[in-house]
Formats: sequence, C-alpha cells, structure tokens
Amino acid sequence: MLNQAIAQEVIFEALESGADFCDIFVERSQIEDLSFNSSVVKNVRSGVDFGIGVRLIFGERAVYGYTNSMVKEDLISLTQRLAAQFKTSKGRDLKTLNFSGKNVKEIASIGDRAVPITEKINHLKTLDLKIRGQSEFINQVNLTYMQRTQEIEVFDSEGLHMQDTRPYVRLGVRSYAKDGDQQATGSWNPGARGGYEFFQGLNFDEISDYVAKQAVTIMRAKSCPAGKMPVVIDNGFGGVIFHEACGHPLETTSVEKKASVFWDKKGEMIAHENLSAVDDGTIDNLWGSLTLDDEGMPTQKTQLIKNGRLENFLSDRLGEIKTGHPRTGSARRESYKYAPASRMRNTYIEAGPHSLEELLTSMGDGLYAKSMGGGSVNPGTGEFNFSVQEGYLVKNGKITEPVKGATLIGRGEEIMKNISMVGSNLEYAAGMCGSVSGGVPVTVGQPAVKVDEILVGGKA
Amino acid sequence: MNTQIKNAMEKTLELAKKYGADQADVIVSAGESFSVSAQKGDIDKYKVSGARVLGIRSLKDERVGLSYTEAIDDDSLEIAVKKSLENAEASEKRPHEKIVVENSEGIRKSEFKPDETSIDDKIKFALSLEEDVRKKESRVSSVPYNGLSEASSESYYMNSLNTFNYESEYYVSCYTSALIQDAANNSMHYASSIARSIKELDKDYCIDESLEHALQWLEAKSLPTKAYDVVFEVNAFASLFGCFGGIFSGKGAMDKVNPFADRLGQKIMSEEIVLWDRPNYEKAFFQSYFDSEGFEQKDLCLIENGELKTFYHNTATANYLKAQSNARAARGAKSALGVSGTTKVFNPGKAAQADLTSGEYLEVLSMQGLHSGADSYSGEFSFAASGYLCRDGKRIKPVKGVTVSGNFYQMMRDVKIVGDQVHTTHHNDFFAPSLRFEAMSVGGE
Repeated sequence: MLNQAIAQEVIFEALESGADFCDIFVERSQIEDLSFNSSVVKNVRSGVDFGIGVRLIFGERAVYGYTNSMVKEDLISLTQRLAAQFKTSKGRDLKTLNFSGKNVKEIASIGDRAVPITEKINHLKTLDLKIRGQSEFINQVNLTYMQRTQEIEVFDSEGLHMQDTRPYVRLGVRSYAKDGDQQATGSWNPGARGGYEFFQGLNFDEISDYVAKQAVTIMRAKSCPAGKMPVVIDNGFGGVIFHEACGHPLETTSVEKKASVFWDKKGEMIAHENLSAVDDGTIDNLWGSLTLDDEGMPTQKTQLIKNGRLENFLSDRLGEIKTGHPRTGSARRESYKYAPASRMRNTYIEAGPHSLEELLTSMGDGLYAKSMGGGSVNPGTGEFNFSVQEGYLVKNGKITEPVKGATLIGRGEEIMKNISMVGSNLEYAAGMCGSVSGGVPVTVGQPAVKVDEILVGGKA
Repeated sequence: MNTQIKNAMEKTLELAKKYGADQADVIVSAGESFSVSAQKGDIDKYKVSGARVLGIRSLKDERVGLSYTEAIDDDSLEIAVKKSLENAEASEKRPHEKIVVENSEGIRKSEFKPDETSIDDKIKFALSLEEDVRKKESRVSSVPYNGLSEASSESYYMNSLNTFNYESEYYVSCYTSALIQDAANNSMHYASSIARSIKELDKDYCIDESLEHALQWLEAKSLPTKAYDVVFEVNAFASLFGCFGGIFSGKGAMDKVNPFADRLGQKIMSEEIVLWDRPNYEKAFFQSYFDSEGFEQKDLCLIENGELKTFYHNTATANYLKAQSNARAARGAKSALGVSGTTKVFNPGKAAQADLTSGEYLEVLSMQGLHSGADSYSGEFSFAASGYLCRDGKRIKPVKGVTVSGNFYQMMRDVKIVGDQVHTTHHNDFFAPSLRFEAMSVGGE
C-alpha cells in the first residue's frame, strides 16, 4: 500500500533524529455491516478506514503518531514532530535499507463483496423467524452482521516489510422476552477470522433455540442469593474469567509498570496444579487468530501456565525492551490510531479429565454458571468481576432452578488457586477486548471448571 | 473551520444528487490530539495524531444507505456516495426517516484557544504529576496511569436542503493513579481533571484523591452479606444511571427494545424525581447546540415528579411514534441515525443532609463491571463496589470486595430520601442530589 521508498525515507528521518527503532503501520480496512430489527433491515453501512501510524522508540520511550495521508511530505512532517522533543546526537545517517519480508498468504475466505447483500439479508430473515418461532414470549429480535477485511503492512528500521490480509466476520444475536412486567434478554455472538462461509456454516436451529430459551429462562428466574459459595463455570465464554483474572495481568503492558499482581512471579506456582493455560494466535480461523502480529512478527502459541506454574508473559517489542520477556507475536492494536501493545489472542484453559457431571456432583451445593457475560479486572490489584448471564442453583450435585443477577468477584491470584477441577469439554467463544491499544477481537475458552469458593453478588 | 473539508462536503452532496439520491446529508468529524504519559520519572508514551472521517447518508425512494471514508479526494468521495446508494437499495423502506432542516446555518466555534504551553512544559507537567504522587506517600509502588492529554475537535453537518452547522471543542485533561502495596495488601485509585487550559487543571485534586482512597482501601474489608441502605457518590451514581439511560431512547421505543416504550405519561420513578436534559447548561463542561440532523437543541424535561414526559427523538422516531422531534438526533460519521441525550440535571429534593445521612448506610464511591453487570432491558444489576460504611454522615469503615445488586427501575421508584443539595461529577457532565436507597442487597463475607 505504501511505496517502499517513502517508507525508507520516513525511517531514515526517524533514525537520523536518534531513534533506536522506527516502524510504520499501514492499514486499509473495508467494513460492511447490516442491522436487522423488527424483522426488517434497519441499516446497511459500509466504509473504508485508511491510515498510517509511525512509531519511534528512543530507549524505553515510545513516540507514536498517525495520519490519513500517504503523501511523503506529510509522513516526514509527522515524523519530525514526533522526534522533535527527543532528538539525540547519536542519529544515524543511513543510505539504504534493504527491506525483506513477504506478503502473507491470504486466508481463503468469501469477501464481503463476493456475495449479494440480499443473500445475507435473506439469511437474517430466516434466523429472525426461527427465533420468534421458539416462544410466544419472544417479542423482539435484534441481529447484526459484520464483515471486515483489514489489510495491513508493516515496515521497520531493521528492514522488515510484511503484509497481511485479515478477514473477519461476526453475527450478533439478541432476543428479547417479555411477559407482563417480567423481561429479559438472551444473546449469542459467534465470530471468526474468515468470511461469509463462516456465516453459512452456522447452525441457525441451535442459535435460535439457545437465545430464545436463555431469554425466557432468565425472565422467569428468581434473584441469585448472595454470599461465598462454590461455583461451576461451564465452557466457552466462561473463559472470560481466565481472560480477566489472569490474562490481562500477564500482558507486559501491565507487567512493565509493575501494575500486575504477577509481575515478579515467573516460575512460581500462581494457580492450582490442575490448571494449565495458553494464549494461542495460530489456531485456524479462530476470531482472535493472527498470521502476523501488528509489529509484523509471526504469531505463536504461548504456554502461560503449566500445571499451576507461571511459564511466560505476553510480550511485544516495547514489553521486551522494558521487562526482558521475549516477544511472543502478541503486539496488537484496534487500528492505525493506536500504538501496538501486548494483548491476548485466543486464550484458554486447557482441557482436563472430568465430565461436567463430575464437577457438579463434587460441588454438592452451589451455583452453576452456564453462560457468562463480560467482566473486567484491575491488573494492579488483581480485583475482577464477571457477570453471570445464565445461572442455576445446584443442590446435592443436581441443577435445580434458574437464578438471575449474579456477579462473581474476587482477586485473580485467589481464584487461580481455587480452580480445583477442570473438565474435558473445551470450547471457544468470540469476544471483543478493550484495553490500552483499543478494542481487538479475542477468543476466550475453557472447559467447565470448578471454583471451590468465590463471592457471588446477588440478593442478600 | 477547514475549507477543504467544507468543499468536500459540498462535493459529496453534488455527487449524491448526480447519482440519484432524493436527499442526502454529510457529517465530518475531525480532530487533533496530543498525549504524554510518564512512568518512573521518564516519558513512557508520547502520541500526536490528527484524523478525520466523512460519513454520508443517502435517501432514495424512502430507503436509507450509509457509507463513510477517511480519505476525501474526489475518487474516494465518489466511491462513498455510490456505496451509500447501493446500500440504500438493499434496505427496506423507511418512510419515517427524512431530512427536514432547510436553509439554516449555525456556527459555534469554541471560545477556548489551544493552550500555548510548550511541549517541554507539558512533558514536565506529566512528570511532576507522577513525582508528586510518589513524594506524598512512600508506600506508592507504582503510578501505572499518569499523564496529560490535549484534544481539539470539529463537527461539521451539511445537508441537501442547504443547511450547514459547525461546532468545535478544545480541552485538556490530566490523570494519575496510586498503586499502594503493603505486605499482602494492595490498593489502587485513579483520579482525573479536565479543563480548558493546563493551568486550570486541578493537579492537587488528582494527587490527593488518588492517594486518599488508595490508602483508605488498603486496609478495607468486606461486609457481612445483608441488606444495607446505600448512597451513591455522584460520580458512581452517574455511572449507574448511564447503564440504564436507554429508557429515554425514542429509537429504543421504536425498535421495541426500550422496556418503558409504552409507559409515556406514567410514573416510573419516585414522585420526588425531576430530571432534565440540558444541552446548553451553563455549569456543564461541554455544551451542545445542534443535533445530528441540524436541529437547534433546547432543554427537555424527561421526568417530572416521577412521570416519564418524553423520549429523545430524531425525525424518524418522532414521525414513527407520532411525536415532535426534540433535537436529540445522534449520528457519527461512521454510524446510523440514532438518538442521545446531553447533560443530565436533577432538581434538588427536600431532605437536609442530616436526614439523608442519619443512621448506618453504605456510601458507594467506585463500581466495577458496569459494562457487563447491568441488563438495561430488565433493570437488573450486580456490581463489585468499594466505598465506606457510614454512620450519621461519618465514614467509619472503608469497604471493598462487596457486591451491590438490585433492579434499577425498582430502585428509582423506591428512592427513600432525596437530598436538597445538587452535586456534580468531576467532569461537570451530570448534576444530581444524593439519593438514599433502602435495603439494597450487598454481598460480602
């Protein structure tokens, strides 16, 4: 997208000012989305994002700027403005920079323009009808369909030049149940690194059954009792608990500031010995997968915890400079408007030996969190919170009645040690993660896990 | 005002007409920003940016299509216009959505000029902010979030009925945090300040506020699980209220996702509640003068003595619900037409401070998980919270590691006491008296 000669001049400008390193991130993203409500198409939107981000690193200082222009003079001017406060006398006067790299093979996917929009709309109509047909209490359905193709190009002062094309597709499904004054919602938001073929492959019967049942079940549920109790968190989006409680504190973005409860715990037991976890950017077509990270480095599978012991952090270039933890192909950003930062990709607890029934039986009385909502963490203190989207009380190891309004709160280092049993039913779920470099697609995942004790927020 | 942008908007409208749009409007958002963060006595991150985006909405045969572009050369504009019309063709008919504001011009340039403080001094400001936090308390192990930022923005609106509006804004902000570690305990608090110039930033407030609560909560404990009366500090209440702001959405009512869609004219809150949406409120930090369809904005009473008086409307929701538009259209350059409110201002109640704070209650200062722990459709919420157990107006015990749960809609109907003093948030964007809620569920030990 950006002429190599211009990239070279920008990098020379940065190095002449004394920068130790410079990289250029070029992005062009084409977006198409549809929103569907009240059984009709509400909005059809499309657009193109284009911009260039320039980063200079002086020692441990990162300097970043961006522009919508790819004109040489504008990019040089931006670089000069960035360097102005940090110029040193050790500037390098380079004559040539031999870029080497590759255009990463495009993932086979059906792009947003290859399929008539009417075909997508017809699929949404079918799904809308199926959801409404599940229950007389479903009084509204909201659907969104999003397809995005992100083309990126990275140049750096070490001669790297890489290009990648990243297709994304996601369906948003929300059902609304209402009966008199009682009302509740159900949702499912599958997504993939891929194209229209993912949408075609979705099982609409399964989705419609799930979101309608969930809304009606929550609508009828009584409030969850509050207090400390054991909890079994089922698979898939339940993995948000690991993402928040442990994943964020393992990003060097937090570690470099010592704003992580785990910053000095490498090699130590930070979790129950039954727990192992990874962050893997290499899994085909998963929503959080990458070929290259946003610094142009091939992504990888990173073992975070093995049998309770902290093995690795998630690191990017600046994280490596500041902490010494080697880069893991985890540099990510929402768009050219953000400097890259170490971020999760597909993060999950590895499968264990137990069935869900074994977990529930061993728990006796407690809460079964079938489906989780979102959550957040303060990496500095490790304090987290998660909402339970769909939960049930468990008595004598048997699921009894649905409950609503439950939240799980605690501290990351405590809950990691309280996950005492791990199931075998590993599943993944797509989500968006917001942090210092914006919102990026991530996958969370886990098999069902049993937490021996956690504070459940609900009705006192 | 940027002439190149204005010319591009005119060109876009010409192209829309050329390619067959019945009506069209164009929104451009443009801005520049600067930020610097400091860590461990040195610059951590430094960012300079400038960007713009142009969004077009084309109406043809009662259908609406949207597209946007970040490049404003002629080719990009032409592609965007064509795409918006293609998108319109794929949409269902929406006869309620029309462009109606004609032959109007409104220009509101910010009276605040960009601060002329040198970059060096801005950097020194960020560095000294961190240094002062560390100097004041030896147990500060890290100041993980600390910096200064500056932003100027411009909003342009132009439609095919010869209407043009322009607004600009400028502000600076600073923020800091104190992470305190003491043996096995740790605690962190964050505070920020916003102003029109760097010298007006309240640096001392940021330092003192972040340290005060981080220190207090270092020794904080949970509470026994039971029902407590709860008073939310105004910033916490603004956050909680924001989770359920959808009840005023005319678009939500039109789309049948607003649980109060059929409750207009009915009591939905305590009789003591009177709530206004005030776009030009003189005490607010930000003022707004035009909505995203070009209408001039005026004050709106949302709740009068507990009764739901109106929804936020744009032309489409007003036509659909047989109401008048009240100039609350909201559309970004990249987004579809929606609605949104402005500054919320509650009337004061009648209770003196002594009545509001009599006996035991939990004062909630901070909540976590608001983005996921609230169901705006049912009103149910459950959040992690920190604050103080209070008695007769005095903080007697710092509290953290508890959950506060309830149903917001029920809570607002059952408000126990409304204070007679109106408080405002740190950023002067929400004004409310203290409200005391009876017997809320608090989960803890």
